[in-house]
Amino acid sequence: MLFLAMWTGDIMFANTYELIVFILNYIGIYDPIYNVFKMFGLEYLLRIIIVLVEIAVLFVFILLTIMFLTWMERKVVAMVQARYGPMVTGPRGLLQPVMDGVKLIGKEDIIPAKADRWVFTLAPFLIFIPALLVFIPLPFGESLIISDLNVGLLYIIAISAISPIAILMAGWASNNKYSLMGAVRAVAQDLSYTIPLALSAIAVVLFTGSLSTVDIVTAQSGTWFGFIPKWFIFLQPLGFILFLIASIAEMGRIPFDFQESESELVAGFFTEYSGMKFAMFFLAEYAHLFSVSAIVVTLFLGGWSIPFLNLIPATFAALVPIISLVVFVIKTYAIIFFAMWLRDTVPRMRIDQLLNLGWKTMIPLALLNLLVTALLMTAGVF
Amino acid sequence: MTWISKDWAMGGIIKGLIVTLKHVFRVGNRPTVTVQYPFERMKVQPRFRGLHAVDENACIGCGICETNCPNSTITIVKHNTNWYPQVNVGMCLFCGICVDVCPMNAMKMTGNYELADYNRESLIYGPDRLLFNKEVNK
Amino acid sequence: MALIYSGGNNVESDELFINMGPVHPSTHGVLRFKLRMDGESIKECTPVIGYLHRGTEKLGEMKTYLQFIPYTDRLDYISAFPNNYAFVKAVEELAGIEVPLRAEYIRVMTMELNRIVNHLVGIGSLLMDLGAATMIMWGFRERENALQLFEMLCGARMTFNYIKPGGVREDMPEGFIPKLNEFLKDMEKRIDDYEQLINGNEIFHMRMKNIGVISGKDAVNYGWTGPTLRGSGVDYDLRKYEPYSIYPDLDFKVCVRKEGDSFARFIVRMDEMKESLHILRQVVDNMPESKVISSAEYGIAPMTGTPSSVSTYFPRIFAPPPGEVYSRIEAPKGELGFYVVSDGTTKPYRVKIRSPSFCNLTAIPSLVKGLKIPDLIAAFGTIDVVLGDVDR
Repeated sequence: MLFLAMWTGDIMFANTYELIVFILNYIGIYDPIYNVFKMFGLEYLLRIIIVLVEIAVLFVFILLTIMFLTWMERKVVAMVQARYGPMVTGPRGLLQPVMDGVKLIGKEDIIPAKADRWVFTLAPFLIFIPALLVFIPLPFGESLIISDLNVGLLYIIAISAISPIAILMAGWASNNKYSLMGAVRAVAQDLSYTIPLALSAIAVVLFTGSLSTVDIVTAQSGTWFGFIPKWFIFLQPLGFILFLIASIAEMGRIPFDFQESESELVAGFFTEYSGMKFAMFFLAEYAHLFSVSAIVVTLFLGGWSIPFLNLIPATFAALVPIISLVVFVIKTYAIIFFAMWLRDTVPRMRIDQLLNLGWKTMIPLALLNLLVTALLMTAGVF
Repeated sequence: MTWISKDWAMGGIIKGLIVTLKHVFRVGNRPTVTVQYPFERMKVQPRFRGLHAVDENACIGCGICETNCPNSTITIVKHNTNWYPQVNVGMCLFCGICVDVCPMNAMKMTGNYELADYNRESLIYGPDRLLFNKEVNK
Repeated sequence: MALIYSGGNNVESDELFINMGPVHPSTHGVLRFKLRMDGESIKECTPVIGYLHRGTEKLGEMKTYLQFIPYTDRLDYISAFPNNYAFVKAVEELAGIEVPLRAEYIRVMTMELNRIVNHLVGIGSLLMDLGAATMIMWGFRERENALQLFEMLCGARMTFNYIKPGGVREDMPEGFIPKLNEFLKDMEKRIDDYEQLINGNEIFHMRMKNIGVISGKDAVNYGWTGPTLRGSGVDYDLRKYEPYSIYPDLDFKVCVRKEGDSFARFIVRMDEMKESLHILRQVVDNMPESKVISSAEYGIAPMTGTPSSVSTYFPRIFAPPPGEVYSRIEAPKGELGFYVVSDGTTKPYRVKIRSPSFCNLTAIPSLVKGLKIPDLIAAFGTIDVVLGDVDR
């Protein structure tokens, strides 16, 4: 039995489904329920129900995290600016996102007269849903992953590339020349920063040889010299910086947020949206922030592993998923804090300076990074 | 790539980040300075120019404050057989000239600044709201 | 918020005509720009002003000299002491009133404090337009301390009505000088913070260098004064070259930069803040003593009392002899001048105000030709315009 053996540092289960089955077996109620379903000949239905429960838990976790992130952003910005932030709604302002949500739901839902109704209504959802789909192959903890895809990293980058389509839909359907211009610029920004993002991610794959996120995390466990963890950030500092800057640019945060600057003439591609549809864009942005930070942590900072995790004695082996979840959340929030911290400090860049940075600086650097890594790997250094 | 060759280390941005971090952790003399308004208020200084107050025993109703007011907001009205000033707070500039020119030192300005109200008529503060009696100490 | 012209008199058929309306977060007030654009670049820019016109100069003909002083406060409402002082200087020249030395020191102290506060607001709103909102919050935190000092001194935070012909209204209360010294010490450390945050920031350099360049000769021809002129290499500061009040006795240097772009104007303002701190320390150290009889004993300001150390005797009916005078000072935004014509009665015959923001604004159309809209915001922010000054 697993609890009696020493936890050797291998992961216990391949994904959360197996973890839940193990827990149900341990409690003892798995077999009776399985037999009930087997009577009707619907065993696969039990598996679907368990997976749906997992997805619901993940969904709730992400929505709560997004609400918490909106509060955290306002608080972090306020702490930098020597003030308090929301304080009145709830204790220390914790109910502020709830109040924001209630306000946005109560607003009138305006669709412009000549706009294309179906495309206009569909666009916010098409931005929000891929932001949630990205979480499927991300390991939140040891054996806490919805589905360990073989091509996890490729799936993540591919899903993130759906957002330009949705942005163009939003801009086109608004029937507003300036929304369209804003949408075209946003798509240009997105595309020109996806390329360094993907190139930096590929340099990481050279070390592990596999696109699966669980393999990437387990390749980073262990230490050198006993105390430096084997995270890829030490092997690929340039890749880390490039990936971080490219993801901040993809999200459209300051310093790359000319779309939302009030000093431009229009508010970008979501000018015509009001009420809950606007809230969807907003939520999608924070979901994107959380997912991108999680990806950075998985690729470069070791995911859920910390160096001394395999020294936990056997009787506490059940705590390993929980500890790894906590570690993952702490690391992700550190990256999120960095993104918010950067937002307060620097001004915006102009659109042409931004595109210059993406094409003329970051792509050559990413290619150089890839080349040097490949050379060193062939030479046998790593 | 001229951008990268000159400032490749982005030193300026890093220095800015350090300063911002010092504010987050309130290192040095960098406190949070917000006052949560309805629950706590800032202290006004003694010389603050707020709502007027007229000393009942000192005012002689001469009308010098009425003549010198830039906006003509003070009028002298009769109040219980004496003549006292009436201030239209909605038009008042709170400049303090009436305090300066009063020969009997009867016009003062208090620290009351929360004067918003619902209609314009209630903003005309007659002598009944402005007068006060100063205790005379031997 | 945009109109497309097709046809029309001077507009070609594929030009864009954009209106940056009076209600806009980046125009520092109610200012309207009519922009004719060729793609992304601006071909022609026409500012439309007058949304804040209140008829101050006409009011000057209907109020007495003492009653007009609160109206001068509201011209450049961010820094009101220099406005007061410019008018009062003109009146004192007309009437030949002597001002006691302590009053001059107090006046210079308040004006230099106001210069610091004004530059904080200018720099803060420039950076807020560019996207870094921290600077304006920190700037307003310092401004709050300075406003508390002003409240201690004269009772109001923004419209002071403190400098009167013949001196100032009241002497400083006790505890003012220690609090001022504390403010000066704090301010040094904060200015170091600001420099560390902004001066080296590479993104800021990319946004501001070589934007809105104007040569010294052009600037002088347009009638620019103040920090904007000194950013173009012209060494002209009224405090040095036509000194008034106690400035001949003070030791400070004029901050000049040669490049003439937006970054140079910004650095001039940061340097000027530090010079103002230097001047303030000299003023506080050398403040003359207050005489024993002070107007506080009478409880009233100098309208009826005997001359005190902060104001001379100022009669109730004040009618200066007929004449005219133009007096100018170095306000934080440039040269502020008052042209007062008196005809011997208690009210002026004509008050004309030469406001720095209005004259600095007239160069905008030639400054922004060929720039894009974000550059317009950056260049315009460094000129530091306040609409109360432009429209009067």
